[in-house]
Formats: sequence, structure tokens, C-alpha cells
Amino acid sequence: MERHHFLLRRLHSLTGIVPIGLFLVMHLTTNSTILWGAFNTRIDGEGFDRRVGTFQKEVEFINELPLLLLIEITLWGAIAFHSVLGVYYATSGKGNTGAYRYQSNLRYSLQRWTGYLGFLFIVYHIATLRWGWSFLVPGGTEWSHHFAASTLAAALRGGDEGFTALGVAVSLFYFLGVTALVFHFANGLWTAAITWGLTVTVTAQKRWGYACTAIGAGLMVAGWASVVGFAALDPAEARQVEMSLHGEVPTDGGEAEARSMDVSSRGGDTIEHSGGQH
Amino acid sequence: MAAEASTGMNERVIRVRLKRQDGPDARPRWESFDVPVGTGSNVTSVLQWICAHPVTVEGKNTTPPVYDSGCLEEVCGSCTMVVNGRVRQACSALIDHYCPKDGDELTLEPMTKFPVVRDLSVDRSRLFSNLERMRAWVPVDGTYDLGAGPEETPEAQQTRYVLSTCMSCGCCLEACPQYTLETDEEAWDRAFVGAAVISQARYFNMHETGSSLKKVRLTELSGPGGVSDCGNAQNCVNVCPKEIPLTESIAAIGRQVTAHNIRQFFSGD
Ligand code: HEM
Ligand code: SF4
Ligand code: SF4
Ligand code: FES
Repeated sequence: MERHHFLLRRLHSLTGIVPIGLFLVMHLTTNSTILWGAFNTRIDGEGFDRRVGTFQKEVEFINELPLLLLIEITLWGAIAFHSVLGVYYATSGKGNTGAYRYQSNLRYSLQRWTGYLGFLFIVYHIATLRWGWSFLVPGGTEWSHHFAASTLAAALRGGDEGFTALGVAVSLFYFLGVTALVFHFANGLWTAAITWGLTVTVTAQKRWGYACTAIGAGLMVAGWASVVGFAALDPAEARQVEMSLHGEVPTDGGEAEARSMDVSSRGGDTIEHSGGQH
Repeated sequence: MAAEASTGMNERVIRVRLKRQDGPDARPRWESFDVPVGTGSNVTSVLQWICAHPVTVEGKNTTPPVYDSGCLEEVCGSCTMVVNGRVRQACSALIDHYCPKDGDELTLEPMTKFPVVRDLSVDRSRLFSNLERMRAWVPVDGTYDLGAGPEETPEAQQTRYVLSTCMSCGCCLEACPQYTLETDEEAWDRAFVGAAVISQARYFNMHETGSSLKKVRLTELSGPGGVSDCGNAQNCVNVCPKEIPLTESIAAIGRQVTAHNIRQFFSGD
């Protein structure tokens, strides 16, 4: 730890940007297609069909990426490394925003708190949607990447039948988690430029600060659009769209049917279970 | 009652709460004093008055409080303490700013990041030990005459002049969330050195002759307690009474340390 002090510090900074930050950018832009997909003219149907359809296409694209498991493991490794060191670094300081109420000091403390909150959120998010810990999801919905939008919407609402109280709590947690991580990333970009010595003068730091604010604001919009977009989705209707995308005739009993079906055993030529993530 | 702490204008009496501690290991306690002040009074003159009249508001006789001071013009840094919760020099802290009205309260405490010697006096040895660790000097000792000093451009002079005004007061360390109290001397070589020392390393790295120790400084600054322990809260620059661009120094050293380590990785020395 002492001998590699510099290397560890710089790797911590680097992993925050690549791969974690880069992934965050891609993840939120992809997810926000659940709203702006309405403008995607390459998908048939009305606004709603296009939104669900565009997102589903994105998910399938990602699940077909080569070496997906390797990408995933790299990402998990980086997050674990950054988080463990992040907690260690965060506990080495002692915030003093009460006495010194400067905006930069507030951001210093927020960088630490959003790190903790972001970490909790990421663990919950991956555990429930990727590792299938459905007992942590109100309503017990299990995520399927063939029914990406509908199963996520059900998880955020706490079931198929509108919002439950626990569903609202999950949605709120998503909202806070995404907000925290976007702030953490944008502010991290700003501090990283000082860490590496890119922005030396106050003028340069200010200028880069505006750029980071713009990046953060853009990502924040994408992040919020994602959470709101999914929570506002009716799971049953979304499932109909997804089924027709997979070449299945949507029926009135489609919801119950899709639910009871074991996705991996359906084996149709349009669907291959690749165990991917999103 | 004589009003030595006052100039005769805008006479009023303020309530001063003082955090006192009889020795390094003694338990701190609070004492309050009513002090007559006027236009132009400052925290040091208030302390002088209390020393001459060491009687608390309860009428109890007490010892005169211990505090440091030297230049009385914000140049030596010895009178640094925490005034109303924020660190600054006592001699330049005007009472008119803190307590404009009769009965206003003033709170004085010693700095929290250095061991207390007694009352408001603290031991800043760690700061000087860290300056030594960073070779914060120009090496001119030798067996022969080194001749005239190197020439300097006006630009470099401008930058270096501001950096040279640091008085090692400790404000930037007191306000820094990454700089913590370290009573064990053994730990001083591993704990965060803080903005003042990083800035001094930059100052001496910029000097033609001083730069012969640049590598040693940058190796020190790469290790535990070096520049990467800074968390970019930027309180240091906000509280520095000399308005030294500390965050620029931190970024400049960040840049030097980046280059130094890349160079070292490939050259191996
Ligand atoms: C999506 C996830 C995350 C991203 C994109 C991210 C990104 C970043 C970036 C870019 C930095 C700036 C590095 C620098 O100043 O040089 C940073 C710093 C930091 N991160 Fe993260 N981070 C993430 C998750 C976490 C988590 C889960 C923690 C755990 C508590 C954490 C704790 C920290 C801390 C404490 C710092 C400040 C380090 C310092 O200034 O020395 N981060 N992060
Ligand atoms: S850098 Fe400023 S605040 Fe820090 S010790 Fe020097 S003069 Fe004081
Ligand atoms: S910028 Fe660094 S040195 Fe200055 S107060 Fe913040 S953490 Fe401390
Ligand atoms: S007495 Fe020298 S700075 Fe206050």
C-alpha cells in the first residue's frame, strides 16, 4: 500500500473515468432511449412501440457484443477496486462544511457521500437485475433481457398492477442513486484534471468546471429520463410490444403467459440466451 | 474600568468566550470575559486586555491566557487561531467586524490540527518538519564559490514572489479536511503534508539552483502524505491570508509528479 501509493492513487482516479465513467455515459444514454426512442423512425408503430422497441434493440445489441463476459468482469473489477479504495480514502479525511462553507468544500463532502450512496445503489442494481436476487425486488419480478423494458418497469413499480408503496421506494432509490453517481462522475472529472495536472491555473480550472457542469447536466437529463421513462411504462403494454418484436402474436393473456414462460427454454431462432447484462 | 483594548471611539463591552487548556494533556475548559473595546480593537488587543484583567464574568480570578504573537501585522503567522469557528490571524481580526454591537459574543479557540501547548498556543513543529522533508531550501553549501545567482525572468519572478510570502501560519492546514491532527511524530513522514508545503516544493522547484533537488522532492510528494492525498476541497486557497494560489500549486505539482513518475517508469531511476 505504501510502496505503490502513487500508482494506486492514479489508478483510482483513472478507473473512475475509464472504464467506470465511460460505462456510465453509455449506460445512461442507452437507457434514456426509453424516452427519446419515440423519435426513432426505424422502428414501426406509434411513439410507445418505438420507445420500447428502440430500447429492446439497444439491449439486444449489447447482449450480442463479443467478449461480453470479459467486459463485464473488467467493469466489476474496476468498480470493486475504485469503491474499496474510495471508501478507504474517504474515511481518511474529515469533512468540515459546517465551519468552511465554500462551494468547493461542499463538493468535496458530496463526492464522498455520493460515493457511498452510489456504491449501495450499484450493488442493489447489479444484484437484482443481473444476479437475479429477485427476493430484493418488491413483487419479485425477475429481469429478463428479452423483456427488458417491461420487467424493469415492473421492478420499479413493485409489480404489474400500478405502483405499490415499496415500488415507489425502489423508484426513489433509483432516482437518488442515478443522481448521486452522475454528480460523482462530473465532479470527479473536474478534480481528476487537477490530480493529473491538466488544469493548473484558476482560469483553466474554472473553464473545465463549466465543461464538467455541462457534461453533468447532460448526463443528469439522460439519467432522470431513464428512471422516469421506465417508471412511467405500463409493464403489460410494454410486454405486448416486446412479444411482437420477438415474432410472437400478442394475445390478451400475453402477460400471464410471458410471465410463466421460462425465457431460456423458449429457444426460438430470434432469441438466444446469452446470459448478458444491461 | 480602564479601557486599554479600546481607542476611545464607539466604546462597548463584548463577551469573549475562551477555550482554555492548562497543558498538552489537560482537559480543555471554557471561560468567559467581558472586555471593553472600541474602533480599531483587534483580537490580540482583546487578549492583551484579558491578560491584564484575568477575571471571568463570574468574578473568579484566573490565570492570564497564553497566546502567541509577534509582528502584529499579519506577517509572522504566530498568532493564528480559530476566531468564531474559522481560522485566521488574531492580530488582523478586527473586533468591529466580529462584534459591531455592545454585548456581541466572540469565541476564541486554539487550532485543532496541532497539539496544544497551552490555551491558544499550539506546536506547529510538524509543519517545519514537513518543510524539511520536502527539502524546502536552495542548496548552496559547498567548498567553492558558486558565483552569482541564476538570472530569472520577470514572469517567473512574479509567480515565485507570491509563493515566497507564505509565513507558515497553518491556516491552510487547519481548514483542510484531509489534514488531520497527528500527535505521534513517527507518523509525520506519512501523513498528508498539506497545501503550504506542496506550494513551497513548487517554489523551490522553480528556482534554478533549488531545482537540483527537484527529483527528491517529487519522489517525496509521490509517496504517502504527498500531493495525491489532497482531496481538492480547496479550502486552503480560500483561507490563506496571503492569497497564495495554493490550488494552482497543487495542480502544478500534480503535473510535475505525473511527468516525474512516467519518466521514472521508463528510465528506471
Ligand atoms: C459509477 C461509479 C463511479 C464513477 C463513475 C466514479 C468516478 C470517479 C472519478 C472520475 C473520480 C475523480 C478522481 C480524481 O479526482 O482524480 C472519483 C473520485 C472518487 N470516488 Fe468515485 N466513481 C464511482 C464510484 C465510486 C464509489 C462506489 C465510491 C465509493 C465510496 C467512490 C469514491 C470516490 C472517492 C472517495 C473519490 C475521491 C478520491 C480522491 O479525491 O482522492 N466512487 N470517482
Ligand atoms: S500557504 Fe497561506 S495559509 Fe498556508 S501557511 Fe502559508 S501563508 Fe499560511
Ligand atoms: S485542496 Fe487539498 S490541500 Fe487544499 S484544503 Fe482541499 S484537500 Fe486540503
Ligand atoms: S502577530 Fe504576526 S501575524 Fe499576527
